Amino acid sequence: MSKKILFALIGGLMLVCSNAKADIDTAKAEAFIKEVTHEGIVEIINAKATQAEKDARFEKLFNSALDLKFIGKFVLGRYWRTATEEQREEFIDVYRKLNVQTWSKRFDEFKGKEFVFKGTSPSSSKGQIFVNTIVPMEQAQPASVIWRVKQDGETFKIVDIIIENVSLAITARNEYTAFIKKSPDGINGLIADLKKKISQ
Amino acid sequence: MKKRYIALVTAFSLLSPVALASDNDDWLETYNRAMFDFNYQIDKYTLKPLAKGYRAITNQDVRNRVSSFITNTKEPVSFANHTLQGNFKNALISVGRFLINSTLGLAGTFDVASGWGLKGKRTGFDETLATYCVPDGPFFIAPFFGPFTLRSAVGYGVDAYTDPVYWAAINDKNYYDKITWGYLGLNIITSREKALDLTDDLEKNSVDFYATMKSAYLQNRQKLNKCQSVTETPSYDFDFEDEDY
Repeated sequence: MSKKILFALIGGLMLVCSNAKADIDTAKAEAFIKEVTHEGIVEIINAKATQAEKDARFEKLFNSALDLKFIGKFVLGRYWRTATEEQREEFIDVYRKLNVQTWSKRFDEFKGKEFVFKGTSPSSSKGQIFVNTIVPMEQAQPASVIWRVKQDGETFKIVDIIIENVSLAITARNEYTAFIKKSPDGINGLIADLKKKISQ
Repeated sequence: MKKRYIALVTAFSLLSPVALASDNDDWLETYNRAMFDFNYQIDKYTLKPLAKGYRAITNQDVRNRVSSFITNTKEPVSFANHTLQGNFKNALISVGRFLINSTLGLAGTFDVASGWGLKGKRTGFDETLATYCVPDGPFFIAPFFGPFTLRSAVGYGVDAYTDPVYWAAINDKNYYDKITWGYLGLNIITSREKALDLTDDLEKNSVDFYATMKSAYLQNRQKLNKCQSVTETPSYDFDFEDEDY
């Protein structure tokens, strides 16, 4: 009898846990990434438009598809807690600008290529999911690109992109925290350096 | 050259107690950053100009033929390691690819086998060690060569030693040096040319190039982790909740 109660309790707990993880609409999350990649490749990279027009379209897509404040907060690591409100806002602003600039060029690399969707995988973080894609390559094995998607109500946002197992959020966090640790000006030094990168 | 390299790897392995390579565990950081700067200067004034020159005097088609040739010479190494990993299907594919591409593919310059559905999967001794759950060991920068973990360095050394090109040339005293150095040079220049855009992009957008490279290198290596339990999440599934970090 006591065993039955124990199993029932474990079963109930597992059900609660699985519901907690399954609080994201997987089909909509995948459809969201399909829409973003389609817009990025077909309507921006392959579009007949000037580079300035393409950059403007890309910036709009980038700002609407990614939760850069959420990512920016993560990449500053423990330094986010000690940063002033002004430093936080300035960092998010330069981080956003640098990413838009970097990714509008990087996305160009996908010209003539396509994303093949390979389903979704659960995430250990609440309200998040991984959308798995691969990009077939001519002279190499297909490249794996995994999109970490966060759902807030009916809104979906990308919070990380994992290319060949390399998380962009983790890489930026390791890079920025290493820089702040070495820099005599701390976060201000990082913001100044990021501004320099944008103006280059 | 090959013996010197193996000696170098062995020396490193003796100096380095085995520890799990992780981003936060860089007890060789002072040495690594100095060696990274040294390699960066070597690259800037020799390898990068050579790779750019190679790109300037060849078109994509020529580079694809050279790349295919090199990939084909590595098929026996892949065959041996697929076998050691117990992956006999991929081992047979490697044999098939080597036979087809060496003959019909004109010494491997054309990848005929892929067109016939025999898509290759390159592997090496590093992955074999990973299959047997050998830990990655510490991260370090090797002079002239770049980033390694202890396991990847051992894997690189064993792959170099078992490369059929060295063994094919070993009995030819007149041409051994010319062939092995030429082959090594070709490997280095083609690899560097392929990485030109990626490294330029990373360098341009990075505020700490060493930290970026190290982080990306170690994360990428997690793909080889074959001994993960089924309940363990992938390395990129870190805790990413909205909280005050």
